[in-house]
Amino acid sequence: MLRTRKFVEQYDLLGCIQCGRCTAGCPLSLTSPLNIRSIIYQALVRDKLDVKQMPEIWDCTTCSTCTLRCPKGLDPAMILVGMRRVMTEGGRVKPTVRDALESTFKFGNPWNRGKAKRADWAQDLNLKNLAEGAEAEILYFVGCTPSYDDRVQAVTRAMVKAFEKAGVDFGILGNEEICCGSEMRRLGEEGLFEFLVEENLELFKRYDIKRMVTTSPHCYNTFKNEYEGLDFEVQHYTQFVADLIERGELAFSGEVPPTMKVVTYQDPCFLGKQNGVYDEPRAILQSIPGLKFVDFDRSRERSLCCEGGGGRMWVEASSTSGERLAETRVKDALALGAEVIATACPFCMLTLEDAVKTTGAEGAIEILDIMELVAQAM
Amino acid sequence: MDIVVCVKHVPDTTEAEIAIRDDERGIKQAGLVFDISEADNYAIEEALLLKEEFGGSITVLTVGPEEADETLRMCLAKGVEQAARLTDERFEGSDSFATARVLAEAIKDMDYDLVLTGVQADDDGSAQVGVTLAEMLGIPHAALVVSTEAEEDEDRMTVHRELEGGLHEVLEIELPALLTIQTGINEPRYASIFGIRKAMKKQIEILDLDDLELAEEAVGEAGSKTSLVKLFIPVVTAQATILEGSPEEVSSELATILKNEGVV
Repeated sequence: MLRTRKFVEQYDLLGCIQCGRCTAGCPLSLTSPLNIRSIIYQALVRDKLDVKQMPEIWDCTTCSTCTLRCPKGLDPAMILVGMRRVMTEGGRVKPTVRDALESTFKFGNPWNRGKAKRADWAQDLNLKNLAEGAEAEILYFVGCTPSYDDRVQAVTRAMVKAFEKAGVDFGILGNEEICCGSEMRRLGEEGLFEFLVEENLELFKRYDIKRMVTTSPHCYNTFKNEYEGLDFEVQHYTQFVADLIERGELAFSGEVPPTMKVVTYQDPCFLGKQNGVYDEPRAILQSIPGLKFVDFDRSRERSLCCEGGGGRMWVEASSTSGERLAETRVKDALALGAEVIATACPFCMLTLEDAVKTTGAEGAIEILDIMELVAQAM
Repeated sequence: MDIVVCVKHVPDTTEAEIAIRDDERGIKQAGLVFDISEADNYAIEEALLLKEEFGGSITVLTVGPEEADETLRMCLAKGVEQAARLTDERFEGSDSFATARVLAEAIKDMDYDLVLTGVQADDDGSAQVGVTLAEMLGIPHAALVVSTEAEEDEDRMTVHRELEGGLHEVLEIELPALLTIQTGINEPRYASIFGIRKAMKKQIEILDLDDLELAEEAVGEAGSKTSLVKLFIPVVTAQATILEGSPEEVSSELATILKNEGVV
């Protein structure tokens, strides 16, 4: 049960003018009964809310379209996270969420994988390990899903290939790297998030980290905007690589590979909407020789979320009616004549790949990370 | 309904590298993550569900080192009222029998309707402590329990046991009784970090041999019926044969092999 008085103060809900711009822009309204405007209204007029009877609060992907559109500067997505906290801190979460949270506490990743296996993807790559005394200018923060997921590991290897070609002085934290906590916070586990912040800050201090590049927009966003006391530069790889290309440090072979295709780009919400990084990923794609770039109609600020964020990798939607947004995205891309949807986020990659299978579009369209396209053209 | 739950703090060996100690009587613990034994976690949840329905209080007990407080605190965070840890150097080397004896001494003077344990521990997998404990306490038991049904103020309850071949046995059991709880009986709740931090304020009672009415010879190796000779990692033998060829060739070759080996 959520007592609303303190909650209203904490999230500044009296500032809400019920204009409805949040709900009107919510991509989930296409498939879910989730109505953030109505939820805020109920919090304002009732003494308590029975969040247990509101499964739709788990549908939110925290894409933050609502936050971007709110004329009063409220953060509706995080209001829903505040409601999730009541459930999570009371222990009442779906088993999939429980397992992800427990795994993150025990092993430093939400995938129930052993700590000792985290850097297996890099076993044959001979990378500098900053946790074993090596020194480098840049920490490549790999992230949990890229470290353990077979498909996304291909992205980390492409990243390494490009960094090495450009002569970047970088290293990893190997098996000592742990979860950034972005998704744990959004699953309502603020205590676990705080624990991970402390652990990570201590790690970065111990190994004297001065600059960081991440694979995932989720790690990037949380390190950049939510880690108090993190005092060095954090970049998403698209920013870092766009810069390498612009300065001529990463050059393409110049030959147009015969396989080069028509490519569109899925804006990750945590990179675009939440951090305004729209141009760099497009600049990289457009610099690849022979690549034909076409933008989605719904792109940049209006981009359609893939439904992989906000902890949704571990939560099935409350309503199964309607199409998954990732499926809509695949169909839109096909209609656009794209042969590839380029991604810059491990969650987008996985949700879109699933959608390619469920829409029967295998063979017609491929999901590739920007770095995979870069590595192909080098 | 007052319930005592016995739990064990064990290494979680998910994808961990297991190394045997030099004395061959245990595994090296460095780098391992510890947690509540899986079946015990279900026993705790079952106790919480029964308490939520019928009231009463829950006491959690463990025999183990100081680090086992992590497991006890997690139980307190979930809603268990009292926790006690039985720790003494003289308990070391206890087998299932001696461990059950330590627990029995701690439990025998308590007021309880039910004692729950996990069906077996994740580390030694012996599945003996629960049933031995019931015998020592002089109460009936049911092992491998997959569901429970109780009614207000009844002195009996109904339990379902999982038998081989997918059979279920339904028993009525007189209370007080001991049940060993099988995994899957419920969905254990989550203990949040804030919940665990709050539970730090709750007291954990610590008992040693002198607090129990037991002689030193009744516990540890001296009080055990079995002794661990050695632990070793089985030698890996490569006996796999990879069949190659078209699906038709491979399937016909496989059928021949299965036939020759007398499998089909």
